[in-house]
Amino acid sequence: MTTPDPRAVPPDAILVSAIASGDESAMGQLYDRYSPIVYSIALRVLGDAGMAEDLLQEIFMQLWRNPAAFDSNRGAMAPWLAAITRNRAIDWLRKRRPETPVADVALSIEPDLAYKAEIAQSVGKIRSMLDNMPVTQRSVLEMAYFEGLTHSEIAAKTGQPLGTIKTRIRSGLLALRTALTQ
Amino acid sequence: MSVHEQFAEDLALYALGALVGPEKDALEQHLEVCLPCQSELQQLQSDATLLALSTFGPVPPPRSRKRLLQAIARERRARVAAPKRSAWWVLVPYAVSTALIVVAAFLWNESRSLNRTLANLEQRHAEMEKQLRVAQDLVNTLTSPESKQITLAPAKALPQPQGKAYYLSSSGHLIFLANNLAPLPPNKVYELWLIPSTGSPIPAGLFQPDSHGTATVVNPPLPMGIEAKAFAITIEPAGGSPAPTSQPIMLGAA
Repeated sequence: MTTPDPRAVPPDAILVSAIASGDESAMGQLYDRYSPIVYSIALRVLGDAGMAEDLLQEIFMQLWRNPAAFDSNRGAMAPWLAAITRNRAIDWLRKRRPETPVADVALSIEPDLAYKAEIAQSVGKIRSMLDNMPVTQRSVLEMAYFEGLTHSEIAAKTGQPLGTIKTRIRSGLLALRTALTQ
Repeated sequence: MSVHEQFAEDLALYALGALVGPEKDALEQHLEVCLPCQSELQQLQSDATLLALSTFGPVPPPRSRKRLLQAIARERRARVAAPKRSAWWVLVPYAVSTALIVVAAFLWNESRSLNRTLANLEQRHAEMEKQLRVAQDLVNTLTSPESKQITLAPAKALPQPQGKAYYLSSSGHLIFLANNLAPLPPNKVYELWLIPSTGSPIPAGLFQPDSHGTATVVNPPLPMGIEAKAFAITIEPAGGSPAPTSQPIMLGAA
């Protein structure tokens, strides 16, 4: 007798395909899997629970109306949703028109965060890397990513030279790159 | 293949949407023709997404799920609304209206198709013009009578390494070619500096020589209209420095 695979849940691509044929329950499953990621990012950027709920609704309605925008060959669902949520949240924050078409977001295929255990493990590694990063470096990264500030705005806000901001942002991203491989 | 060092930091800023102004324009121009830098940009965007995932924790309230599924159901009902059956003559005005709508939709579709074709052609034309401008800028920097040609020699008069800078101050374009450069350890990089008539040295690109000791820097992001007094090269920590941290190993007066 074989033990059932605990990860025997429908892969994202299958759910997206079911959504394309109008399957509402598939949409519910995808929502259950990824709504915490979308909501967490929206809340972090917008700082308002009501706006975060509205953005959560918008992101999943877009997926319902245009499931083909997600291409599993160009990356996994979690980072793709994370990227479009962050971009749209910054657009809302700065009250500007959407700059990046949803279908244009291409990422490397890691990490595949379809499963809760993998999410918890990956998030733990990323947070550990950020906790060990110098505060000055982490803060410029967060100002650029979560507040949508330009390098000149960060330099004006922190009083640091432009060159220093650039160097800190690049080395911070490169450090994050190693987070999941450690 | 590796990224061009002079664009490495701008790529990271660009991945976060934090690069603006002439530096953004110069990088986008470079990205159009550089596959390694395109690939690095995609990797940096993925790295940035890890920041987003670090926020993971809060969960949306249960009403959000209900609200989403209700909105989806409403859209489905609107799509499948069925027409009532009626006597055929009652349908005549509807048939005429439908025919008109079909004709209008056909014309609208044709118009959209033509607009798309026109937009594609315009985009191709704009891309070709942009590439032509880049080529013209390069030729102009090399051949313009206003272009200053500066030969850089080692500060301590070592004979082998040599660098040539072609600089057009009016447009801020710079081409730098060097040969016979010594290899550097991985934690070091050569940095080119534009030394203006007044003020501090301006970073003009990072580079590593290839296995033959040659290196090039093409159009680093520089402000326009800066008169150069000299160009210099220093050895800096990997990633470069905003201001020189060591004595120049090569120097050339403009």
